[in-house]
Amino acid sequence: MTILRGAAGASLPFFSGRAMTSTTVRIDGISKRFGSAVAVNDVSVDIARGEFFTLLGSSGCGKTTLLRMIAGFLKQSEGSIYFGETCIDDVPPQKRNTGMVFQSYAIFPHLSVVDNIAYGLRARGQSAGEIKAKVDKYLGLTRLSHLGHRKPRELSGGQQQRVVLARAMVIEPDVLLMDEPLSNLDTEMRVHLRAEIRALQRQVGITTIYVTHDQEEALLMSDRIAVMRDGRFEQVARPHDIYNNPATRFVASFIGENNFLPVSGIRSEHGRTMLDLPGGRLLTTVHVPTNGPLDAAIRPQDMTLSPEPSGTNMPGLLGTLTDIQFLGGTVRYALDLGDGHVVQVAGSSRTGEALPQTGSRHLLSVSAGALRLFPRGNA
Amino acid sequence: MSAAIGTSERRGAGRLLPGFWSLVTIAVLVIVTALLLLPVINIIGLSLSGGVKDGGLFEHYRTFFSERFYYQTVFNSFWVSCWAMAFAVALGVPAAYFVNRYDIWGKGLARAAVVLTFVSPPFIGSYSWVVLFGRSGVATQLFASWGIPLPTIYGPSGIIFVFTLQFFPFVFLLVSSGLKTIDQSVEDAALNLGSSEFRTFRTVIVPLLVPSITTGALLVFIASFTDLGTPIILGEKFRVLPVLVYGEFVNEFGGRPVLASALSVVLLTITTAALLLQRWLSARFSHASAAVRPLEVQEQPLAKRLAATVFVFLLIGTALLPILNIVVSSFLEAKGPVLTGNFTLANYQRIASRLTLPLWNTVFFTTTATLLCAMVGTAIAYIIVRRPGFVSSTLDTVVMFSYAVPGIVLGVGLVVTYHEPPLALTGTSVILILAYFIRRLPFSVRSSVSMLQQVSRDTEDASINLGAGPGRTFLKITIPVLATAILSGALLTWSNTIRELSATLILQSGTTATVAIEIFNEVVNGNFGVASALGTVLILLTFLPLLLLFTVIGKKEDVLV
Repeated sequence: MTILRGAAGASLPFFSGRAMTSTTVRIDGISKRFGSAVAVNDVSVDIARGEFFTLLGSSGCGKTTLLRMIAGFLKQSEGSIYFGETCIDDVPPQKRNTGMVFQSYAIFPHLSVVDNIAYGLRARGQSAGEIKAKVDKYLGLTRLSHLGHRKPRELSGGQQQRVVLARAMVIEPDVLLMDEPLSNLDTEMRVHLRAEIRALQRQVGITTIYVTHDQEEALLMSDRIAVMRDGRFEQVARPHDIYNNPATRFVASFIGENNFLPVSGIRSEHGRTMLDLPGGRLLTTVHVPTNGPLDAAIRPQDMTLSPEPSGTNMPGLLGTLTDIQFLGGTVRYALDLGDGHVVQVAGSSRTGEALPQTGSRHLLSVSAGALRLFPRGNA
Repeated sequence: MSAAIGTSERRGAGRLLPGFWSLVTIAVLVIVTALLLLPVINIIGLSLSGGVKDGGLFEHYRTFFSERFYYQTVFNSFWVSCWAMAFAVALGVPAAYFVNRYDIWGKGLARAAVVLTFVSPPFIGSYSWVVLFGRSGVATQLFASWGIPLPTIYGPSGIIFVFTLQFFPFVFLLVSSGLKTIDQSVEDAALNLGSSEFRTFRTVIVPLLVPSITTGALLVFIASFTDLGTPIILGEKFRVLPVLVYGEFVNEFGGRPVLASALSVVLLTITTAALLLQRWLSARFSHASAAVRPLEVQEQPLAKRLAATVFVFLLIGTALLPILNIVVSSFLEAKGPVLTGNFTLANYQRIASRLTLPLWNTVFFTTTATLLCAMVGTAIAYIIVRRPGFVSSTLDTVVMFSYAVPGIVLGVGLVVTYHEPPLALTGTSVILILAYFIRRLPFSVRSSVSMLQQVSRDTEDASINLGAGPGRTFLKITIPVLATAILSGALLTWSNTIRELSATLILQSGTTATVAIEIFNEVVNGNFGVASALGTVLILLTFLPLLLLFTVIGKKEDVLV
């Protein structure tokens, strides 16, 4: 499939002659309060046409609340939502033309697969011929053609999820909304369906807002991710940027794994910055914030383990190997750097190579561009 | 997002309010106010304003509490209701335990018999007992000829006897379903820790059954306290409160509606207190638990198995005796209240000509009220479950208050409220239909509420999201998903409404008489043959929908309570 990636990070599906029914979404200063509790706190973002945009966060961060406000099931306390140029604040949910996929499937248990998919088209009063053509097309796209007359109870979880996906997409919604659609499936089906959803979304070119707490899912599927915490956007960026350049300490700890070490001193040596850290010092090329104490964040796979050198002048962190977890292709090491600072290091294991012994001393080296700095204590 | 957070978010006030449900909410509030609150308020108002005319605000209450003739009825009512409650628990709990836990013979038969007892019209049973054990009763004379005097069926002891047998199924059914919520592992754990079988029953099973037992006991109490037919037939000089209300209201020499109103308020106060007590007790003692593996049937040694079977079938057989008597008697030739041993269809021929109107009335009123219950009940259930808030919880409370309003009080209230133009409904079919509707409404609401709570709200949201409005969503999604619950609720409503007597006695006029009224009249006139034939018809009408419910829909008998 040919995808052009725009500078803003939005993917622009490259179809000739396909009608683009979807729209841009503009979220402008949205807040939602339940009594004194703030579920969503002043968030704004512009989502491009055809973009796969993910709201990522843990339980209670406000991501589902935000999605339900876009669908119209909840009314925001402040702010406005636009589809294209149209403000939809006062449009009731049944008139918003969004297609929503629910975590619980929300399949209509008394209707067959075909009737489930046709439901929205019938509500729109379309002709029988039109409905049949569209339903058939989406039965094909979701590979359900042979199951059209089954009742939901005769379908597996993955098949049910495909039915509700077809049901949401067949109405040619302006925006596709997905609320953790894969979280009730087993791992294998989840891995399979996320690729399928992504392919279908690109094929149809529909603007999609996807809610998940699964960062792997978010990184894999999204054009852009908004990491949410306590009702706010911590960072909105492409998956690669979220991972490599986390904007906040929270994002650095939430996405992937990170070791945080306190910086006890900053020195300039020969025009380079040297950081004093537990067990030694490291060279860095990243920008150093000037005020307040700092923590350095280093990912496990960015550290290289080597035997303790005889000379002492090399940059690096010295530590004692306390634990080895052998996982087949990868090996994880725990190193104690002293003063209770233990770091996790990921290494690869090659055939024929012996593993080091616990209790032995090692030097950890980190390339100058791999380290990130954050103000301390701002968990 | 965790379930707890999801729920709290959904309960938020900011949900868009589609006009459809606001209109429906207003409509059901008007209906419930007009049919329940207004009559109750009017009774209270009349009892006070009538008092002002006669000498003081509380004049009639003062009369009531100062004259022994009146206040004695309250003590009498308490006396029979409390004993009936005690006996019903003493018999119902072991019977339920044996049927559900022991490998007794004829379990299915026992359950079916309990249901039959439960749904048979109580006043028929009372008269049937008179025929068997009355002064000139069949059994009385038989035993007398052997020189064995039998205790009297009249007065308080007879009433307690009949109430116990009529209402112990409340306890039986509630304890049966309570037993299903206890996990086998709880009992296993107690036994594993060295507790004996009886000690385990006493210290583990019974405490877990307390909510079921207290609820059953208070339902027996309320049913006994408000029953009108049985004490009229058996009470003679022993008068209970509902009989007094009825007597004062429809006295042939000019009723005293004001005094009847004051008496109704007293009756209502007591039943409301009992209902509140029941709510408090079940909240206080409830153990939120779901059984993964419910208690299993235990194999018993032969002697115990035999003893349990005998106990269960003696109880149930006794309770069924009056019903069997009616069915058999309906085919026997009768000379007034005395039955002969000759088989005949004369009783059925005699009712055939007169039955058309009451039968039509009964079926028409019941069916209309049932349909209203199903529609309004489902709508109210939807509002309570899906649109929580102040209005919704108020509605919930008001509807559940209807449980506490005895049939006779509702009857008096409706007459007091709707006897003048422009709404002169007294004596019409409409007022009976409305009375049946509002009496059964809480049951319909409850059955739809429990079903709706199991249906994910996402299903309805999905429909709205796909472009169907709230009204269309309710019709195309909610109703079909709830269809089984609504149908089984309707069948229950039908079979419970068809035998209604106490409100009907107050509200009927000659042309709106129902089968139950006809039976009552025949019983009062001593035509037991005709009464039996009518009774058999009524029992059949009551039992048929239940048969459908248990066989076709596959419900268990605990839906009855």
